[in-house]
Amino acid sequence: MHSHYNALLVCLSYAVSVLGSFTALQLALSIPLANHPRKRLGAVLAAGTAMGGGAIWTMHFIAMLACNMGVQVSYDVWLTAVSALLAIVACSLGLAMVSAARVRFVHLLGAGVLMGLGVAGMHYIGMMAMLTSARASYDLPMVALSVAIAIVASMVALWLAFNLRGWLQMLGSSLVMGVAVCGMHFVGMAALMLMPGDSLPVGFEQGVRGDRLGLMTFAVVIALLALALGMSIARQQRRAAVTI
Amino acid sequence: MAELEVRVVSERREGLLVELGRIISEHDHVLLRQRLAADVQGTCATLVLRGPDERRLALEDALEAHPRVLSLASSGGVALHASPVASSARAKHPASRVGGAEVAKIERILPNLAKDYPRIFPWLIHLEYEVAVEARNASLHLAGRRTGCWVYKRDYALGAKLGLLDAMRRIALPALREFVPAEQHGSELHLRDCPLCQPGGASGGHFFCGFLEGLLMDAVDEPSLAVHEIHCHSHGAAACVFEVSQ
Repeated sequence: MHSHYNALLVCLSYAVSVLGSFTALQLALSIPLANHPRKRLGAVLAAGTAMGGGAIWTMHFIAMLACNMGVQVSYDVWLTAVSALLAIVACSLGLAMVSAARVRFVHLLGAGVLMGLGVAGMHYIGMMAMLTSARASYDLPMVALSVAIAIVASMVALWLAFNLRGWLQMLGSSLVMGVAVCGMHFVGMAALMLMPGDSLPVGFEQGVRGDRLGLMTFAVVIALLALALGMSIARQQRRAAVTI
Repeated sequence: MAELEVRVVSERREGLLVELGRIISEHDHVLLRQRLAADVQGTCATLVLRGPDERRLALEDALEAHPRVLSLASSGGVALHASPVASSARAKHPASRVGGAEVAKIERILPNLAKDYPRIFPWLIHLEYEVAVEARNASLHLAGRRTGCWVYKRDYALGAKLGLLDAMRRIALPALREFVPAEQHGSELHLRDCPLCQPGGASGGHFFCGFLEGLLMDAVDEPSLAVHEIHCHSHGAAACVFEVSQ
């Protein structure tokens, strides 16, 4: 069975992953400035949620909406929720690790592996949540390549975010993190092989369908935009308040 | 929980305790006792604080970075000794320089530097004429340090600590280029056509030494930092050259 993609939704999925990465990495940059453990935890969770829930989970489901596999599809609610939670936890841990005083290679490696596995784990659990009559199997070398892309591109994005300053820091890191998320997803989708089946699985009717999925992703995107705008205003105020 | 005695020297006493008290409570410490006394540089506040030991360095750092604090010394025990933060600050910024600077005149000019930044040279030239000849270098140095600290906190504080050469390339160079053409050659920064260093005139290098110290001291992951001017356009060199070392 062959899949076809809606190019507009594919572009939208990349744009959403960049927006989520931008919000998450900007939040992550404020982690070292938090002067209280509770504030630090709050900043880590906010950054992890923006990355896991915004950049990764939302991107995945917009890209799934873009994919026409020629069969009816719905998504198991619990596994879909678990996939989001995994991405949020893995990204929170990774961002906490990399927001040390000085980012050394060992921090980058640890954080890159955590975030890469978070991206990949979210994707493959999200695929397990897919309820369809078709039977799915995977090309393992392609799966390994998708995980490697997620890890390496995450490391590059984190390095850019924490070691550079200015526009390249803000925009470059988000664009590369978007490549990490989308690269992993689309290589992972290329690894997927679907064989026609003859019956719908149990729970298909109770699963989340495309229309509701669209609304959910829309809500997350609005939340990300509001967060990015709020953060930008707060940064401007903080910058203006610095006294000489 | 540990007790800590901090001695802070500031130019004015008005509102000092309120401003320092805010920083103290933000760092989970409480003020047990305080004493204010006149000092040759203005006023000296001795504060006895109590709070978690792991927050002590952050508190000292925040107090030392406060714009009204000219110098800081702290003690966790009976004998008063300089804190690591204060020691490093003095190493970078000798007391004679603070003492020699005309702080009141610098304080008056700093808001104008911030308002007109990066068009700061007219104000710096004004400062040069405003202060006594013997206070000129120390005053330029202090004005530079305060400006550098301010620029760092405003524009470059978000991100990880960097190695010295990376900090020079990613922070010092773009910050300098806002008001003077600059190039990096290893651990040296070359400034061309600096209006403060006209041939035959006095060198304005002290401002840039202070500026680079203020800009880089929180950006690098090493506690000590030194900036020296090794060539100056005012002495006939093609460019002003500053060497930054740890």
